[in-house]
Amino acid sequence: MMVFGYLLATGITTGALYALVAIGITIVYKATRAVNFAHGDLFMICGFIAYTFHVMWGLPYVASLVLAVIAGFAIGAVSERISFRPAIGHGIASVLLTTIGLSFVLKGIARAIWGGKGDFIPFPPLVHSPPISFADILVPPQQLVVLAGAIVVMLLFAVFFKFTQLGRMMQATADNPKAAKLVGIRTGRVYMYTFAVGTAVAGSAAVLMAPITLLYPDIGFVLFIKAFAAAVLGGLTSLPGAVLGGFMIGLIEAFSGGYISTNLQDVSSYIVIMLVLIFLPNGLLGGAALRRV
Amino acid sequence: MMGWRTTLVAIGTVLAGSALAGMGAQAQEVPGVTKDQIKIGSFGSLTGPTYLYGKLTMNGVDAVFAKVNEEGGVNGRKLVLVREDDRCDPATAIAAVKRLVFEDKVFAIIGGGCSNAALAARPEVIKDEIPFNVFASVADGISDPVSKYIYTTMTTSSIESRAQLQYAIEHKAKTIAVVSQHDAWGQSRYTPLMEDFKKRGLKPALDLEMTVDDNDATTQALKIAQAKADAIIMVLYAKPGAVLVRALNKLGQSPMLIGQTGIADPVAFAKEVDIPGATDKFVTPAAVRYAPTDPEVKDWVERIKKMFPNDNLSVFNLMGIGAGEVLVAALKKAGPDLTRDKFLEAMSHIHVKTDTYAGEIVCNDPVSHQCNQSVAWLGYKDGKAVALGVTHLQQN
Repeated sequence: MMVFGYLLATGITTGALYALVAIGITIVYKATRAVNFAHGDLFMICGFIAYTFHVMWGLPYVASLVLAVIAGFAIGAVSERISFRPAIGHGIASVLLTTIGLSFVLKGIARAIWGGKGDFIPFPPLVHSPPISFADILVPPQQLVVLAGAIVVMLLFAVFFKFTQLGRMMQATADNPKAAKLVGIRTGRVYMYTFAVGTAVAGSAAVLMAPITLLYPDIGFVLFIKAFAAAVLGGLTSLPGAVLGGFMIGLIEAFSGGYISTNLQDVSSYIVIMLVLIFLPNGLLGGAALRRV
Repeated sequence: MMGWRTTLVAIGTVLAGSALAGMGAQAQEVPGVTKDQIKIGSFGSLTGPTYLYGKLTMNGVDAVFAKVNEEGGVNGRKLVLVREDDRCDPATAIAAVKRLVFEDKVFAIIGGGCSNAALAARPEVIKDEIPFNVFASVADGISDPVSKYIYTTMTTSSIESRAQLQYAIEHKAKTIAVVSQHDAWGQSRYTPLMEDFKKRGLKPALDLEMTVDDNDATTQALKIAQAKADAIIMVLYAKPGAVLVRALNKLGQSPMLIGQTGIADPVAFAKEVDIPGATDKFVTPAAVRYAPTDPEVKDWVERIKKMFPNDNLSVFNLMGIGAGEVLVAALKKAGPDLTRDKFLEAMSHIHVKTDTYAGEIVCNDPVSHQCNQSVAWLGYKDGKAVALGVTHLQQN
């Protein structure tokens, strides 16, 4: 029971972080029909920005989180302007290539600024207490804090997306860009905000994740692959699907590693995705493919 | 009359020239050896992040050569080190060996920083029939199977793996877990480790895997906690190692942590884990038994500082010193009529105690040319690396 509980707690926490990153991938895809391959590296940069604020400059963790999210918003907006916007009229291949190029640029920037400290940087744990026991389930308090933070971010995002004007404009643009233009929505600006919000959400995941892992310039790609897998599993156009996919990937990794073999931990999620896509090509919650007219 | 004299002068010139050429040829019979100099070549990284294994180790060798030259050289011949940069690249290493052999015409080579580069250079070394003493590369494939020309004074991957298990046993570990990477680097250590377990009639309590990019080791830490492992043999780079140690700490676990030279610096590792006390039981092997700050190597450190003031002093300097001392001992043993065969004969059964290596250097031709079977252990205490003892292995 203890093992099951611990793996469950770990899987849910990791899954929540994957879900946050997957949300960013999904909202950009919904709006632009393009996968932002730099999304993982935007996540990574936010993590390093938080490290700078919290570890190098001594700001409190929460303040560092907020500042890193704001910085992520700004960086996401700039990245849309310099990588996505110029390529938008030149076909999907151009869009993908520019986002890949941006990914390499961001990695280079991270190495130039923070890479000199070594291959990776530790982020101090948030809490140092021993694991808490809930009915024979052992949970490290660190994970509880991270999970709580991730849930708060998800709820804030849901409120933003559903109840704010910008959120509704983003939904409208994602559903039908031509119709959105016709009703006066400046879709170009909405795309910029979409990238910015997606990066901000991913940035929050980076800051939440940093105390339970290590920061290094290539972490973005590793997380991107898993979050992309989560988004595909959930259905690339479904935000609830992205959340569901994230939690599923986290749990599958934890339980396969815990009960079958640690060798399977990394690949188990991809095996499941392959199986799901064979039988459900649009993912678990993705709608049927529609042709835009 | 003029024509007759001219002819005589011409014949005389030709005869004199031939005689001189003959004398020169005799003196140059042994490549790299003249009556007052022995040229030794070295290849390794001189630039880039892997310069530790190349340049710093070569600096140690140069320090030995400088000391020996001050004392009159080897049988009256001064030692000269010729360096080539292989940039840790296999193709460049082959080119470096060719340059050393055919352009610089060195007598022997002491070098090999990155294993992949040294492995690539092995066939070239054997083809060119040039003695090669490996000073930093750890891959077993460089010196095994045994080649007449290649010896290593560096503790190889398999020696480190066997030493890890020996350390656990010597420190009375009852439940030993293994956590390893299964990439090429990891496999080169994991396989001999498992063979050694089998040879001793033992089995690891847990055999777990991590990848270099793993960001979470909760599953592994949980299994270790369940098994109540009191020792973990880590065949990991520093990053997954740090992830594992942090995960163990979260669960309140503090077993013996026995690393490999993938985590060469216990002080740096403690900073990378960044949890006070989490690495108190961490040890890592080293080919040399001292840290640069130890008083026993003070004279050598002073010499290195004087010769190479920009060096960040490192165990790699000390490894070069040990390797240099072994080379010099073999050159002395080979005698004043120095040839490559005599040098190789001297290396084949050499017994040398150096100022820096953990144990005696014993080459056992034809059984093994892996001459360093002793591993020193470094731990971490009060912000510094501390020497914790030596494990001596029986040669396989």
